[in-house]
Amino acid sequence: MKFTETFRSALDGLNANRTRAFLSMLGIIIGIAAVIIIISVTQGSQRSISERIEALGTNLINVSPGIRGGFAGMRARALADLFTLEDGEEILKKASAVKRVVPVINRRLLLQYKDKNAEIVVNGITPDYQEVLNFWVEEGRFIDYRDLKSFRTVIVLGEGVANDLFGDEDPLGQSIVVNGPLSRYKFRVIGVMQSKGRVMFFNFDDQAFIPISTAQKRLFHTKYVQNFSIQAESKETTDEAIEEIDAILYQKFQDDTKYSISSQEQLLSTMSSVMQTFAIMLVGIAGISLLVGGIGIMNIMLVSVTERTREIGIRMAVGAKRVDILLQFLWESVLLCLIGGAVGVSLGWIGSKIIAFIGSRVLPDMGALPTVISPEAILLALGFATAVGLFFGIYPANKASKLDPVEALRYG
Amino acid sequence: MIQAINIKKVYTVGKVEIAALKGISLEIKEGEFVSITGSSGSGKSTLMHILGCLDRPTSGKLFLDDKEVGKLKGNALAEIRNKKIGFVFQQFNLLSRSTAFRNVELPLVYAGVNRRERAERARIALEKVEMAHRLYHRPSELSGGEGQRIAIARALVTKPSLILADEPTGNLDSKTGEGILELFQKLHLQGHTLIVITHERYVSEYAERIIHLKDGLIEQDERRN
Repeated sequence: MKFTETFRSALDGLNANRTRAFLSMLGIIIGIAAVIIIISVTQGSQRSISERIEALGTNLINVSPGIRGGFAGMRARALADLFTLEDGEEILKKASAVKRVVPVINRRLLLQYKDKNAEIVVNGITPDYQEVLNFWVEEGRFIDYRDLKSFRTVIVLGEGVANDLFGDEDPLGQSIVVNGPLSRYKFRVIGVMQSKGRVMFFNFDDQAFIPISTAQKRLFHTKYVQNFSIQAESKETTDEAIEEIDAILYQKFQDDTKYSISSQEQLLSTMSSVMQTFAIMLVGIAGISLLVGGIGIMNIMLVSVTERTREIGIRMAVGAKRVDILLQFLWESVLLCLIGGAVGVSLGWIGSKIIAFIGSRVLPDMGALPTVISPEAILLALGFATAVGLFFGIYPANKASKLDPVEALRYG
Repeated sequence: MIQAINIKKVYTVGKVEIAALKGISLEIKEGEFVSITGSSGSGKSTLMHILGCLDRPTSGKLFLDDKEVGKLKGNALAEIRNKKIGFVFQQFNLLSRSTAFRNVELPLVYAGVNRRERAERARIALEKVEMAHRLYHRPSELSGGEGQRIAIARALVTKPSLILADEPTGNLDSKTGEGILELFQKLHLQGHTLIVITHERYVSEYAERIIHLKDGLIEQDERRN
């Protein structure tokens, strides 16, 4: 018998009991909708994270102190007081693939303006910071070398901080108080950065920048710096630059656990692999609901086979072969799952749009919750639904096809 | 056209063996109208299942159109049922969710006939049983007599060598039943080979030959005019 005819018989079978067909589809609908939503949310955040990290510049390299300890109840901590400004100058001089080096020293400090305050990360940096991080001043000006040389108490605010402290007021030229660990200083606001938003759990707009010389001398009283943000000559020379930096630092410290070098690209791949693991886990959980849905379908198909024993007998009497009966029932369960899958995909689509909408309303500064629905996700979901239908349909269908025609005709 | 030689059928229920047919030999020629009678338990249903290729004999030989079919299995039997045999049942056995037309074309669907030819042949079969006006009614919307006519049309549609009817009037009142039997007679006159299984005397009287079964054996094989 032709494919279209088996398909038609199956459709007739489902049509005959629509409520039951719908109820048995529910498990598949919910499972597929869950899979679609999970995939859309993880793919969406993955994409937004990589977009933002890429916006930081892919030829960015971070050099930070190594991490020590972290066993037997001791907290792991980064080595402090390791790098000096001279290390940075040496890297810039000796490493040919390195274009710019920015030493950074940063702490969480309390900033005050009139009756408002904000506890944020204050970065001591050099003027190259803008180019290296691809993060630019929007109003006023950035730190320059004269500020550095004269240990000026000037500060550039992130867009979020400026908003928190000044609201509608113009921050430029105003004085704010920065509370250092040992002393308080008045800083003059000379600029406000562009808005860059949040990458993972770090908000770029909630920080401020001061000359590194001022930070070392006046605020923290130290000759060390915390880390270096380094820009390679190009994306292609990033790996080369990392090797050069490693050679220089190893020569100095003779211990490669004292420092760590990571490129933005490595960070990117780490993050996306973390996201992927997370997504696989969640899809696995949704998969369990598909499994349960599939068992429900098998159950209904078994009932249906018993109920339609006589119909099977009639079909056999007029010449249906076993394979015709098998395909008819198999088609029914596959159709159930496919229709359920299609409904699930649409519901998942709607669900992910709702999540994106709520995300943009409720969590605007969490970077919202972008969702992406890829054709691959839809194909995957529908493919999986078909597989569930085949897997759980084969047993009832086989049972139907093995009925004895005489017995089947006598039934009921 | 049908030749049965020493057909036996033994059912095994648990450890007990029940001999339903104990050695039936008969020959039915093309165009004959035969009725098989017998009380319940005489083996007439078993014989019908075997003649109709729904079941296989335990031993003995069965030829249909000079072809040995007693040893065939599964798909081969399904094909014989599809091409050579038309069934008419006591309970009509129509697919309740399908229209009369769909029911009639069903054997052709399994035979792999294309849609247009199916429609044409189903229409002819329905005309033969005077049901061409009820094409798109479902069995529940038809009277008993109409339902059985649809079932007969379904049996006729593949132009089978043999039409097997099992108590075709059992679920009908006597007047409607007579209508069905007259239809059988008409089909007989058109040259169809018919076997009607019944336990009712008046039904068997429409046939030209009555085979009476008792305890799994042929007790009497009587030709009438």
